[in-house]
Amino acid sequence: MIIPVRCFSCGKVIGSDYKKFSEKVQKIRKEGREPKPEEVQEILDDLHLTRYCCRRMIISHIDLIDEIIPFS
Amino acid sequence: MTLTIMEQSDNYIRFKVTDITPAEANALRRTIISDIPKLAIDKVTFHHGQIRDEEGNEYDSSLPLFDEVVAQRLSMIPIKSDLKMNFKDNCTCGGKGCSLCTATFSINKLGPATLYSGDLISVGGTVSKPTDAEIPILKLGPKQAILVSAEAVLGTAASHAKWQVATGVSYKYSRKFIVQKKSSIDYEKIKQQCPSSVVSESNSTVTFTDDVPCHALTPLFENKECKIEEDSSSYIFQFETDGSLSALDVLDYALKRLPQRLNTLLESLVDSE
Repeated sequence: MIIPVRCFSCGKVIGSDYKKFSEKVQKIRKEGREPKPEEVQEILDDLHLTRYCCRRMIISHIDLIDEIIPFS
Repeated sequence: MTLTIMEQSDNYIRFKVTDITPAEANALRRTIISDIPKLAIDKVTFHHGQIRDEEGNEYDSSLPLFDEVVAQRLSMIPIKSDLKMNFKDNCTCGGKGCSLCTATFSINKLGPATLYSGDLISVGGTVSKPTDAEIPILKLGPKQAILVSAEAVLGTAASHAKWQVATGVSYKYSRKFIVQKKSSIDYEKIKQQCPSSVVSESNSTVTFTDDVPCHALTPLFENKECKIEEDSSSYIFQFETDGSLSALDVLDYALKRLPQRLNTLLESLVDSE
């Protein structure tokens, strides 16, 4: 739906990191390829997401809020 | 008990505590997790009905997310907190809410737009503001608007996760890796890569510690030729905060709070007798 404000498991604030993450991924996709696992790893490390609970919040998120807006 | 700070930034701290028991170490950990007060939004009032802008255009107050979801997301935003404030229940105002115990915020946003935590406007004498201005709260479609007032009060994480200050609170024993020089372990390489990890060196042995993390020490955990000694009276703690309080403030408060918690236990035991 929309990125949760905090990590479900540890409580770290991750809400603002999703935008930064998806911008960097989009930049790589503009080159016409999917990001390599090592590149995703580097992006997450740069965002200081050290624990795997916070990392899964970002990589497993699907932003569906734009699809929901017409039905409010 | 001695406490040495090993690494410190605004939101992160790593420190060593010596001469304590495992029970005391765990009591300190649990205090840091659940008994540090901070500000979080506790009461949200939504305006329902038509909302007009300055030019007289009408907007609808129905939102893409339920009001409850928006309120929950607002409450999770970390707000810069002042520990001089009172808990609402113990305040001089008698729990009605005043500037000593409550910080008030308002939100007024017209769509189409994304509502960010930075759109929270502090009302009245309080100067509190969110520590992170870029957390998305809600997306508004065309002709949608939100008009909200919110009250933030002090609380502790024991009652709700929105009052959680510290995350990733953990500790480990202070370890010693004793390596015999005549063994097959390449201790010179480790010495070179982790110079700060060397505790002592004699003619026959080298002793390392992982108090400061170092990748080159990793093989020693698996190697049977290396003797690992763990000291149950010496601990390396680390935790980070969400920014509402600095890591040092949290530690300072926890150390003052710990004896109070133990007194509560003692009093309850005396009462039951």
